[in-house]
Amino acid sequence: MRFQLVLLLVLGVALAGGFGALQMSRIGVHQGYSPDQPIAFPHKVHAGDNKIPCLYCHYAARTSRHAGIPPASVCMNCHTLLEKQTVEIEKLKEAVQQERPIQWVKIHNLPDFVYFNHSQHVQSGVACQRCHGEVEKMTKVEQFAPLTMGWCLQCHREHAEIPTGEFQRAAMSLKQKQKAVAGTDCASCHY
Amino acid sequence: MNNHTMESGKNKPSCKSGHSALVQIGEPPAYWKSPDELHHGPRITGEFPGGLPSISSESKTTRRDFLALMGFSLAAAGLSGCRAPVQNAIPLLVGSDQIIPGVANFYATTCQGCASSCSLLVKQRDGRPIKIEGNAESTLFGGGTCATGQATILSLYDNERLRGPLWQGEPAAWEDIDKHVVESLTAARNDSLAVVLLSRTITSPSTREIIAQWGKQFPNFHHVTYDPISYSALRAAHAKSFGQAAIPHYSFDKARVIVGLEADFLGTWLSPVEFARQYASNRKPEGTPALHIQFESGMSVTGSNADVRVPVAPSQLGAVAVALLRRIAQKAGNAGTPQGEDPIETKRLDAVADELWKHRGESLIVSGSNDVSVQIVVNALNSFLGNISKTVDLVHPSLQRTGDDAALADLVKEMNDGKVHTLVLYGVNPAYDYPSSDEFLNGLKKVSLSVSFADRRDETSSQVSAVCPDHHFLEAWGDAEPVESHFSLAQPLIAPLFETRAAQESLLRWAGEEKPSYYNYLRDYWQKNMFARQKEVQDFTAFWERSLQDGVVILPSREIAKLAAFHGNWKAAAQTILQESKQAQSAADKYELHFYESVALRDGSQANNPWLQELPDPISKVTWGNYAAVAPALATRLGISNGDVLRLNTSNGKVEIPAFIQPGQDGRTISIALGQGRTQVGKAGKNVGTNVFPLTAMRDGQRRYSATNVSIEKTGRQESLASTQTHFSMEGRPIVLEMSLEELQKGESEKGETLPTLWADRPHGEHAWGMAIDMNACTGCSACVVACQAENNVPVVGKDQIERIRIMHWIRIDRYYSGPEENPVTLHQPMLCQHCQDAPCETVCPVLATTTSSEGLNQQVYNRCIGTRYCANNCPYKVRRFNWYNYTENDAFDYNMANPVGRLVLNPDVAVRSRGVMEKCSLCVQRIQLAKNTALQGKRELADGDIQTACQQSCPTQAIVFGDLKDPESRVSKLRHSQRQYQVLEDLGTRPNVDYLKKVRKATQI
Repeated sequence: MRFQLVLLLVLGVALAGGFGALQMSRIGVHQGYSPDQPIAFPHKVHAGDNKIPCLYCHYAARTSRHAGIPPASVCMNCHTLLEKQTVEIEKLKEAVQQERPIQWVKIHNLPDFVYFNHSQHVQSGVACQRCHGEVEKMTKVEQFAPLTMGWCLQCHREHAEIPTGEFQRAAMSLKQKQKAVAGTDCASCHY
Repeated sequence: MNNHTMESGKNKPSCKSGHSALVQIGEPPAYWKSPDELHHGPRITGEFPGGLPSISSESKTTRRDFLALMGFSLAAAGLSGCRAPVQNAIPLLVGSDQIIPGVANFYATTCQGCASSCSLLVKQRDGRPIKIEGNAESTLFGGGTCATGQATILSLYDNERLRGPLWQGEPAAWEDIDKHVVESLTAARNDSLAVVLLSRTITSPSTREIIAQWGKQFPNFHHVTYDPISYSALRAAHAKSFGQAAIPHYSFDKARVIVGLEADFLGTWLSPVEFARQYASNRKPEGTPALHIQFESGMSVTGSNADVRVPVAPSQLGAVAVALLRRIAQKAGNAGTPQGEDPIETKRLDAVADELWKHRGESLIVSGSNDVSVQIVVNALNSFLGNISKTVDLVHPSLQRTGDDAALADLVKEMNDGKVHTLVLYGVNPAYDYPSSDEFLNGLKKVSLSVSFADRRDETSSQVSAVCPDHHFLEAWGDAEPVESHFSLAQPLIAPLFETRAAQESLLRWAGEEKPSYYNYLRDYWQKNMFARQKEVQDFTAFWERSLQDGVVILPSREIAKLAAFHGNWKAAAQTILQESKQAQSAADKYELHFYESVALRDGSQANNPWLQELPDPISKVTWGNYAAVAPALATRLGISNGDVLRLNTSNGKVEIPAFIQPGQDGRTISIALGQGRTQVGKAGKNVGTNVFPLTAMRDGQRRYSATNVSIEKTGRQESLASTQTHFSMEGRPIVLEMSLEELQKGESEKGETLPTLWADRPHGEHAWGMAIDMNACTGCSACVVACQAENNVPVVGKDQIERIRIMHWIRIDRYYSGPEENPVTLHQPMLCQHCQDAPCETVCPVLATTTSSEGLNQQVYNRCIGTRYCANNCPYKVRRFNWYNYTENDAFDYNMANPVGRLVLNPDVAVRSRGVMEKCSLCVQRIQLAKNTALQGKRELADGDIQTACQQSCPTQAIVFGDLKDPESRVSKLRHSQRQYQVLEDLGTRPNVDYLKKVRKATQI
């Protein structure tokens, strides 16, 4: 009886500890985060139905560390010509008329001690969906990936094979080589 | 004969035996950092030599309180950690093809840190300038900068700048101020009352034109120019010698022999970035390095780099010039130099004169004296040596200092006589830096309208009727002509942060323009003047855009003025000097004072800049304040020790200031830096140090930066000096190596054998980053220290923390002496993380927070670090820095990082470290990553030179080279095989990726 009690207690503590540890490891992980936006912008309509390339609006992702949310003027490239009106489009036009920048809610937040560069990944041919999920099917965008270090490294390790031999390296084309360089050094992201 | 070069060679086991011999503890070390170390040897008596400031023992926190607080904060952290705060992302409303968030743009502009007007290339990120770099396009200044120039970016984000204009000390609207000013000016115009604009040297031709135009509307207008550190005698002497009141453009790169007389041309004098660049290019040991002899009273950066340095009291420097002139004149066949005693040994002067004569036409003598007679004698020397138009260019003179001391003295008199109606102050602060500031302030009360363009409430602007704050130069348009026909444009990097207005626009507004635009004026001015002078580009818009993009424009010279032959009355000048120096030889208990510009603070206008306050002086390594530098022998005789507050009595008043024992200081002279002791400047600079401008008196119409007949009293008080000098003692081991020119030329080198390593080889990546630092080129100017601070978000910690050995700089410059303390040989060694391949820090980290990357970088991972500080203890180079506080949020550290304006300077690509983590040099890994990414985007391989670290970029002498050691063609790889290459403490087997190149000493007969 006494032995069983002790066992139960140990088990209970272990379970609670395990659960606690699991919970702790989830702190700061916001997978599935899907806040309301000031304008209910449907990616599904734009990137999915109308097949607008991601980089048309998020053009900064080609050259910058930030993918960037497009300026309202980019939206207006099309919306000045389109006749369709909805409440949400009205909000956009109002913002432009009143010269009031739109305060979007940031979904993907990395801690300050991590440096992430979109352009490096876009140039290396990583598809947007790899990290952001099938945004073209999302009416309301949510965080697809956990964005934890382990999750980043999973991919980096797959692409970190740089041949060490001079000959093999020379034999690689420049494009191949650059694709291959996915650093696993701490200082690739932490500085 | 006092040949220190030879002497130091003799007792220097470190040099002769390379890495293999360690100096035994207790034996006198060849190199020493402080007089204490010279006499007593390296001390290993305690962890903190000299002790630490006591920590208050009145703390009432008990163990129980601690636990309670700890528990509460843990719970609070746990609760708040569960939910991340909502973050917003606010894009631009209207996009721009030029501004992409996260991508830096570079714009060319011109530095206004001092009147040298160096050309700059400023990095702008997301609409705010964050880093200053030199403009490599400039043929004058190159890509380097100075420490002061680097720090000007922080002055832009100074929280204590005025938010808008003031009328009678109260915030007011621009329209109201304009109304008041225009009313008053109209009265001055109608009644022919005197209007005076008092400015510092203005190198901007368009601004000078605006002032001239503006003045024309008044029947009685003067423009008075003065510089707190005056070059007025230099101009006056040239007027008397060559009929042209100008400062020549000097070429240190064309001189085989350089003689400096108290001119700190590598640190502060006239155009230090340009001169350091010329000097280094002319002192490469692989060629035939020029000979440099420096006569000076206090140890300066320039003196510390000279082949021969002779300490001479300020009153005798003129006599040295006369003694040289006597010899040169004789050789040139000009008899009649007044006779006098030689102030130093005759044989040495003979030897200097012989060297100069041997290199006629390729020698250069410069003097920092503000005495017309001395400058006439120097002109005679350069002229008899045939240096005019060779190393001394008067046809294309320097326009970097145009102040006139006598004119300011006259103005102050007129003000006191009530003859001045309106006084406009532009970039000046006479209530602080004019010797008779009381007289000036009395005069100011009699002025009916006084207007200042100052950016803050300072000593002067707090006493004027209207303060109309000018933009910071990074917010403003402008131009400059530092040297005749060499132009540099300035463009704004950011919209004005506060309600400020360009001084030029204020003047145009008060001249009646309703909506003045200095930009339009500048463009028109360039069209009329600069564009018209060139034939290369036909279309003005194309010319303007190209000029703006390049930043620098060199136009064909104006008409080549016929240069008059030297006609100065050098005999009379020499006679005056000899008389004066004889008079100055005073009683045994009287001493001399010498005032100099410090490398960091210069004339004190940037005294509220905490980066500059915390920059260790290149020679003394003292931060936060100035001191009286006393020679070791004099200190012993008078029983003075470091920090004793001395009272120095001069005929112009007295000053109380702590003493600092400075090896190499002239035995009868006490040197004190100007630019400190500001009373109204802002939180960081207020009441730091002592103002000695009041002791600089006028004599013969020129301001003198020396005083004779000074008595010294000890007050018995002590004041601490926050010096970084005794930190990080190298314990007598051979850290700095040097070799003689003969050894180099014979091809001898003492390379240590490759030591066996216990460690397995690591996998290597694409690159192996390395650095080489040329100790022969490094002058110790410290530009790199501030550049690193700006690039890497290094916090300011303040005087108290520095005394606790907690300075945060990632790169420091160690200064070593060798030889006798009355006149030691000096060596500067930049010291940063050596990025060891077998790093001692790495093996002791319990959490693997510091590791070596596949590319050879020693990487510090802040988020993994738990702050055991084992790594810092185990680092033989002592380059690791621990964050004792959260400098961004702790009220005790009220510097730039603690306020929202100051934080704008932070580099968004580098993490701001939190409390409890270790940090250190990363070899600017953010720049490496960026360059890799740029190459990737351009679909090309990285090329040598694509990556420049911040320290390397800022170095005016290009002493630092960074690159890929795997690429055999890279500059850094080639330097690794240099005959001069060695590694610091290589016998420890740390295998650093940072190489040093030995200092080369030239043996001389002087």
